[in-house]
Amino acid sequence: MRQRAIWSAVLVVGLALAGCGSASDSGKSTSSDGKLVVWDWKSGEPFAKSYLEKAKADFKKKHADVEVEFVAQPFDQYYTLLGAAIQSGKGPDVMLFNGGGQIRDRVDALVPLDDYVAEDKQRLAGWEAFAKDGKTYAAPVTLQGYPIYYNKEIYRKANLDPASPATTWDKFVADCAAIAKAGSKCFALGNKEGVGIQFWLSSLGSTTLTAAEYDAWIAGKRDWNSANVKRIFQTWKESGDRKMNSDGANSTAMFNDSFALFQSGKAAHVMGLMSDVGHWQDFNEFLTAEKLGVMKAPVVTAGTTPSLPYDGGIGYAVAKWTKDPKVAADLVRSLSSAEALKAFYADAGAIAADTTIDVSAGGPAVSTIVSELKSGKPALHVALSSKTLDLMGRLSQQLLSGSITVDEVVKQLAASDQAG
Amino acid sequence: MPMGNTQPSVRPASAGRAGGAAVTSAAHRSGARPRRTRGGLRAERYAPYILVLPAVLIIVLLRLYPLLLGVNFSFTGDGEQNGTAVGFGNYRELFADPLFQTALKNVGLLVLLLPVAVAIPGLLATFIYLRVPGHRFYRSVYFFPAVLSPVIVGAIFNLLLAFDGPLNAVLGSFGIGPVDWLGDPDIAMFMVVGVHIWATFGMALVVFLAGFATLDAALLDAARVDGATLRQVVWHVIIPALSRTIQFVFVTTMIGMLTSMFGLLYIMTSGGPEGSTYLPEFYIWKQQGQMNRPALASAASTILFMIMLVVGLLQIKLLERSGKED
Repeated sequence: MRQRAIWSAVLVVGLALAGCGSASDSGKSTSSDGKLVVWDWKSGEPFAKSYLEKAKADFKKKHADVEVEFVAQPFDQYYTLLGAAIQSGKGPDVMLFNGGGQIRDRVDALVPLDDYVAEDKQRLAGWEAFAKDGKTYAAPVTLQGYPIYYNKEIYRKANLDPASPATTWDKFVADCAAIAKAGSKCFALGNKEGVGIQFWLSSLGSTTLTAAEYDAWIAGKRDWNSANVKRIFQTWKESGDRKMNSDGANSTAMFNDSFALFQSGKAAHVMGLMSDVGHWQDFNEFLTAEKLGVMKAPVVTAGTTPSLPYDGGIGYAVAKWTKDPKVAADLVRSLSSAEALKAFYADAGAIAADTTIDVSAGGPAVSTIVSELKSGKPALHVALSSKTLDLMGRLSQQLLSGSITVDEVVKQLAASDQAG
Repeated sequence: MPMGNTQPSVRPASAGRAGGAAVTSAAHRSGARPRRTRGGLRAERYAPYILVLPAVLIIVLLRLYPLLLGVNFSFTGDGEQNGTAVGFGNYRELFADPLFQTALKNVGLLVLLLPVAVAIPGLLATFIYLRVPGHRFYRSVYFFPAVLSPVIVGAIFNLLLAFDGPLNAVLGSFGIGPVDWLGDPDIAMFMVVGVHIWATFGMALVVFLAGFATLDAALLDAARVDGATLRQVVWHVIIPALSRTIQFVFVTTMIGMLTSMFGLLYIMTSGGPEGSTYLPEFYIWKQQGQMNRPALASAASTILFMIMLVVGLLQIKLLERSGKED
């Protein structure tokens, strides 16, 4: 009996100690001398395989003794997990970020990379999306932009010239009426997540705001009361009031229900993406390359010139707590090396940050997009904080359902933008 | 209703606890019987403490300590103010945030809809108990949704309730215009709660059926002999006899509504349209993961914890009261 009591006591204490151990050991350091841990949401995908191989080979040339481990996290939990890692001050050495608000909100935990990546500045595009207060925190891998795609087949059915889509907003609205008569919707719109308005803002920004207003917006001096800013939300409302959008936009998910509407030929236009999803490669696959067109934004305010809105899409950054920032930065450079990015473009269909890559085999749409990169500007919505974007999403839904005025929308957005 | 006192308890939790106590004391007694050496006595004196130690440690280290850390964290700032004390700043911001107000209002709405969520399984269980034709079939069918994950349920209803989905097509064939079930802020919350009730009432139904198993059939026969209508039977016999089952279902349904609707919300509406379907849980997730405001999320969690504490205390109170009636 005594034996049994002692054994059970030993067992219990042992279990309890094991319990303590796992409780206090939960944030074990992933950063050790010979190893770099990378977090992303891409490395598990088959299309990223050759990209990662090329990047690893490039890194091996510089640091043969350092091991690299890629940990793929689920994207919908990515920033939650990253937030927990940042909070505890322990986690991956290198991590993938979306450009814009997601990285700017977290620069406290990152190493400025300007000194390390100076050589790449010329070769790669899209740095602004990863910069805050003049410092760069990540090197771009892909570019993300918001071209307006259109279906040439629907244009033909509506007796419109597929080679010359509307260049002014009024003509565009008239075209949409013709498209409606031919039995299609003008826009495939999914605004369930409140993202539709972000694409709208950026796609029509260059032709609604004057060049000076546009640059001031990107620089952080946003005049929400300007007539042209209001005009963006008015055209948004107009598109809803005129029934130009696909039905039930507020309950349709942009990813990927609205893109599916466009792909299946139910709507003539969609404000899509350049990389990842809802982009030329997906659309080519369903509509075929010759039916897919990319148009410049129709001019809303006279005297403006359309430009393609784009930014750095995703890029790798270095965490503050990494042992040797130089080694980690070298890995970041390898991850955006020319060879690696060429593989990423070829396999994932993303527009890579390296604009020297030849895309002529991808069809007319992608060639148009790449040719417009030179004159392109940063997208308007990427400059906003995630809090303001979230608010804008909800307000845009109210605009579509008619329960708010444009004046009230810009008032609330101005308040949120100034607070953040 | 005098019969209530003679009914055996239908509360599985309390029954489990009583059983556990009996086992422990039996073990203690049998353990005390063999040869009593001094060392053995000492070991046995400490044995209970050692045996409960793992449970206590787990609760303290993995539950209470993080809870305190979380509450403490809610009084600090976010972003540049990370780590510095901001007093009740986060709480002030929360209560000024219309989105959080909506989330709290929706909690109120859930409380108001609670009787519906309890009445549906109650009524269906009554029909099954009264052996309506096909009752065996219904008994198994009603439980089906309870084994589906909220993600699957949400995806199914997303398709059914889509603007161009089958429900609107059926309505259209009757000449009723399409309704944007998940896109109209006045309707969306009711749809999500409705789907949640559909997906979870099977569990409550089983509890009700267990309650019915303890119901004295002679009472029903007596009522029928006296010429009671179905409504009178339900109102004067079944409800009073099942009062403790009903209380139990009330409390568990409330907790289920407050804590496990995230999956459905996330899939069906993502808090939208216009932020009309936010619940505190979803708000916390959004602030923590999407807005990078962990301290604000902690403050919201603390408030949700307070709400759950009130519900939990209420539950203990209800169960204790019905326990005394035994």
